[in-house]
Amino acid sequence: MGRIGGTGMTDLIFYALSALAIWSGWRVFRVDSMIRATFALMVSFISVGGIAVLMSADYIGVATVFMMAVEMMVMGLFMVMFMMNPAGLNPMQMVHQYKFSIGAGIMGFVGLTTAVLLTNFPDNPLPENRDTLRDLGIELLGGSMLIFETAGVTLLATMVGAVALSSRRGRFGDSDVGAAPPGLHPGGEPAGRKVEKGGGHGGHGGHGGHQMMAEKTKPNSNDDPHEGHGNMPEMEA
Amino acid sequence: MMIFVLAFGMLILFLTFGIWFAAVLDGVFSRRLSGQSAVGLLAPFHAAAVYLTQQRLRTEAPDQLNWFLSIAGYLSVAAIGLAVVPFGPDLAVIGLDTSVVFWGACESLIVVLIFLHGWSPNAPLSLIGAYRYVAIGLPIMLPSMFVLIAAAIPAQSLDLREIVASQETMWNVIRQPLGLPLFLLLGLSLTLRGPFDYADSEDLAGGTSAEDSGANRAGWQVARLAMLVGFSAVASTAFLGGYLGPVLPGFVWLVLKTLVVMATVIWLSHLLARMPVARMLGLIWKILLPISFLDLLWAGLVALA
Amino acid sequence: MGMNWIAKLAAKAPVPIFIARGNDAPDETDKLHLNPNLSIVDTPRAASILLVAGTIPHALTAHLHRLHDQLPHPRATIFWHSSPTDQLSSALGVTHGDDLGSFLLQTRAALLTGERASEADVLPDEPANVWRGVGPHGQGGKGMMGGTPYGRPMAMTDDDMRDGLKLDAYTADFGPFLTMLPSGMILKITLQGDLFQKVAVVSPPYEDARQGREIRTLLKLLGLPALANRLLIENAHCEAGFKRLVTLSGVRRAIPPDLGRTHDGSDVRSRFEHMLNDPSNPQNLHLMGLGLGDLLEGREWQEAMLILNSFDNTSLRKICANTPTDATDDMGDSSEQASGGHEGMDHSSHGGH
Repeated sequence: MGRIGGTGMTDLIFYALSALAIWSGWRVFRVDSMIRATFALMVSFISVGGIAVLMSADYIGVATVFMMAVEMMVMGLFMVMFMMNPAGLNPMQMVHQYKFSIGAGIMGFVGLTTAVLLTNFPDNPLPENRDTLRDLGIELLGGSMLIFETAGVTLLATMVGAVALSSRRGRFGDSDVGAAPPGLHPGGEPAGRKVEKGGGHGGHGGHGGHQMMAEKTKPNSNDDPHEGHGNMPEMEA
Repeated sequence: MMIFVLAFGMLILFLTFGIWFAAVLDGVFSRRLSGQSAVGLLAPFHAAAVYLTQQRLRTEAPDQLNWFLSIAGYLSVAAIGLAVVPFGPDLAVIGLDTSVVFWGACESLIVVLIFLHGWSPNAPLSLIGAYRYVAIGLPIMLPSMFVLIAAAIPAQSLDLREIVASQETMWNVIRQPLGLPLFLLLGLSLTLRGPFDYADSEDLAGGTSAEDSGANRAGWQVARLAMLVGFSAVASTAFLGGYLGPVLPGFVWLVLKTLVVMATVIWLSHLLARMPVARMLGLIWKILLPISFLDLLWAGLVALA
Repeated sequence: MGMNWIAKLAAKAPVPIFIARGNDAPDETDKLHLNPNLSIVDTPRAASILLVAGTIPHALTAHLHRLHDQLPHPRATIFWHSSPTDQLSSALGVTHGDDLGSFLLQTRAALLTGERASEADVLPDEPANVWRGVGPHGQGGKGMMGGTPYGRPMAMTDDDMRDGLKLDAYTADFGPFLTMLPSGMILKITLQGDLFQKVAVVSPPYEDARQGREIRTLLKLLGLPALANRLLIENAHCEAGFKRLVTLSGVRRAIPPDLGRTHDGSDVRSRFEHMLNDPSNPQNLHLMGLGLGDLLEGREWQEAMLILNSFDNTSLRKICANTPTDATDDMGDSSEQASGGHEGMDHSSHGGH
């Protein structure tokens, strides 16, 4: 791509891509829908991928675009499926926990800026026609092969395991059938905490109104987690 | 610079001609199968003009920007996909060492854009189309990646120009017989056709394009055909030797091969039935993916031998 | 007013029409697919002319009006074998003798030249429940909750019946003019993604809805619209060429086994086979209290549509009678749920005039 023009052209493209990356990164926090936020993040990543291509890291740059498009698609789809307001079919308000997020944002910005300013970046320009792709291949399948292959296989195993564990249908039937713990006395009610349906108000980030959040997080946030265990000794006694 | 301008002009010509030809071919196949007489050569222009005379409707609270971007993006990705195809030795609009990966990036962006097209109108049928398409569009990319990597192995390069050069002696379609059929299935999915049309299907009254009217509808249909042109060009480059061929100029060979691939895809799309999405997922993961592993293994063994 | 060049080109194309079927739609309605001057479209968004074939029952006129408003301008309505409703009095009527095909072409030409004015909306173009600007952020509700346009509640997570993912459930009415549903049928469907979670009958299909149309709808649902149209040709189902194409398409294997099983062991595959070979004799099925819920709940959208269209009309009406009907009859005309109309989307939102 670098052969479109001289240095001036490359510089221009670099600044344009950087501006797009920053602007779309900012939009992630300003839009009112999860899909818009996800894809704004994707645009940001794609711009960074473009910058990588400019820096003669062809493979890394293009692969970033490739990976991020797939990743953001999956992430967006899961958010649409699992969160309230699928796809924004109804209007809603997306932003909450203002103070915390502003604080976290400032902290993050200061921290990263300090890191950027204090780091000594390497300065060794590559020759024009350096075959970075071959270098990368030699690195991945040469010196660092053990690391990358180990990480790759581990990740794959984790994914397969996560799918197997979260699937309802198993070879011995549905996972929620017979999954209840045994009773505390023969034939008694299953032990453990019972999750009640409905009701409850989540004190989530200081907003009263999100019933959905309240319901979702209820088993963790609203129920007294010790209730069930607390009863156990008494029942035994 | 002259080369770039020349290649760019060829690309525009190729794309326009290809879109028109694909539309005519589509009409011919569909009417032949339904036992009716064929349509005229100008029918695509007439159909497009109908859409352009119609009003562009909007639904309640749509995402107008993303609606437009999804259509424009789909069309541009089709053109970008075509841009990595070499029209002759060292005659590609985007000459990139990693053009196979670049095409892969285009494939994944297409899934995003089609989802966005179904999501933006804010209506249930188009959203269901979008959901369903992602479920099929992402896994079908896996076999396609494997067969493309297999095609890159004999060339020892991820550059489509090198891949064409490596087919001087024997085309990849003969060297790796499993590759092209699997890749054609991806084409059906990328262009939302026939057995892989889970986004714009009849059971959803048009799915993601159910809410499109006027210029939007024309744009989306044109983009789908442009995608077909782009895909066919990539397929003929990776598996049918691209611009290679005797007597005629390279570009003509490429166009001819592209048309053959295009006709095959359109023919398959009208011929094959579409199964429910769960059954298709089983087919992809349990049958097509292992076959693509076999293809890759075969290519690797041949390279080592 | 003369035509510009785009309109001149457009006048040469087949007329895109959307057909709204009444309960006594003429037999020739299906044959319109074979007319080279017409293109029958699946969504009103792509149509120039709304063709009302047969009488729309009084209960469904509001739906017809909502459907009418979904056509892009310039648009016209033609009542075929029926009389226009009061609100659509400017629409044209065609009686038995006239040649419908050429009449449609003339009407479209008049629309393109501007001789005939485009029909205005019948229903008001505003949301039934005002939500814009309400609430602290203008989102129409409190906290993160937004408004409820058309009284449609926000989708909420619901128990799941298939894979253990508790996804958002979305409830809306679908029908009565959707091309993949039997004409006249309105279902209140609760969807999780594309899975049917609950289904209730708002209005059953017409009594004479689909003589022999089921097999063609099935072929269309299975991605073979060309073969579906081929069946319109006299005795096409006996041709060797057609049979070979059906075999080649793999359509029999595309239908999942045991889909939509009834008590006597018949499933979509066997019913499809029967309709394909013997379209004139409806199968005698033993339904025994089988309801739509038993058949459709837990099914994916395409599977559910296949099941619905695999029954002949008499059986389907029996199944509907066994299904609990939707009790919310208080829904008024235009203030009804979002999807009362054709597409399940908001009819009065054509802001782009």
